[in-house]
Amino acid sequence: MKGLALPVAAAALLALGALVLLEVLRPAPALSPSEQAQQIASELRCPDCQSLSVAESHTDAAGAIRAQIGELLAQGRTVDEIKQHFVDRYGEWILLAPTAAFAWWLPPLVVGAALALLTAWLFTGRRAWHGAGEPNAAVPTAGERQRIRDEIEQLDA
Amino acid sequence: MRLPPLRWLFLPILLVPLAWLLFTGLGRDPREIPSPLVGKPLPELVGTTLDGDAFSSASLLGMPLIVNVWASWCVPCVEEHPVLIDAATTHAGELAVLGVLYQDTTDAARGFLTRYGDGGWPTLLDPSGRLAVELGVTGPPETFFVNADGIVVARQIGPLTFASMAGYLADLGLSE
Repeated sequence: MKGLALPVAAAALLALGALVLLEVLRPAPALSPSEQAQQIASELRCPDCQSLSVAESHTDAAGAIRAQIGELLAQGRTVDEIKQHFVDRYGEWILLAPTAAFAWWLPPLVVGAALALLTAWLFTGRRAWHGAGEPNAAVPTAGERQRIRDEIEQLDA
Repeated sequence: MRLPPLRWLFLPILLVPLAWLLFTGLGRDPREIPSPLVGKPLPELVGTTLDGDAFSSASLLGMPLIVNVWASWCVPCVEEHPVLIDAATTHAGELAVLGVLYQDTTDAARGFLTRYGDGGWPTLLDPSGRLAVELGVTGPPETFFVNADGIVVARQIGPLTFASMAGYLADLGLSE
C-alpha cells in the first residue's frame, strides 16, 4: 500500500489535466457573420464605459468598434485576428476574458495537487507519509525507560 | 525504507504560489492601463482637419510630436489646454502638435479654440471614431508623445500639468 502514494497522486493529476484539456479544446459551433460580430463584440470591453461589453454599450466608441468588427469580418478576417486587431490598439485590457496566463492556471493546479496528495494520503494510510521505517516514537526505548525511572526516583527522593 | 515526509509538500505547494501572486499583484495600480502603442511606431492618422484640409500625421514626422485627443465637452481638456499652448510656443520649430477631436462637432470644437486659445496646430476630425480606435483611446484627454523617429515613447491618460509636460518633453529630448 505505502508505495502507491505517488502513482495515485500522479493519476489524479493526469485525470485533472485531461479534464482541463477537454474543456480548452472543445470545438466552437459554426456561426453566421452577424452572430460572429455579436460574439466578438460581446467579448470586447467598451473603452469608455468599461463595465459593459461593446455589444451592450450605446456609446460612440462602442459603435465605432462594432462598425470595425463588421468591416474586418467582411474582409474575411478570422475571429481571433479581429480580437488581436483590438488588443494591438487597446492592450489585453480590451478583452473581457483576457487570454489565460500561467497565473490563471495556478489556483486550479494548486487545488488539484492538494486534492491528489490528500487522496493519496487517505488511500495509502498515514504511516507511509510519516516514514514507515521509523520506530514508533510513542513507545520509549529501554534506555528511555531507564531514564524515566531514574528521574521519577529523583522526584520521590 | 524511509519515505520523504510528503506532508511538508502541502505548505510550499499552497504558500509559494500565493506569495508570488500577492507580491506581483498587489503592487499594481488597477486603473493603470499600459498602451500597447508605447515603443511602437505611431499609426498613420489620416483625415480632414478642423480647417477642412486633408491631412496625414506622416507629414509631421522628423521632429518630436505630441498627439492630443480632446473634445470641447471635456472639462480636463480646458485645464490642460494652456500646458499644450505653452509647450508649442516654447518649442516652436522643434516640436509638432496634432489634435484629434473625439466625439465632438466641428462647431463646438471651434468654439472651444476661440474661447480658450488656438495654438495654431492642426486638429483632425474623427467622425467615425476610427482614429480613436487606432490609438486605443478610452476617453479624452489622452496624449501621445512621439519621438523624431515616429516611435510612441509615452501615453498620458488624463490632463497634462506643466510638471508632467516637462517630464515628457525631456523624454523627447526637449528641455526648458
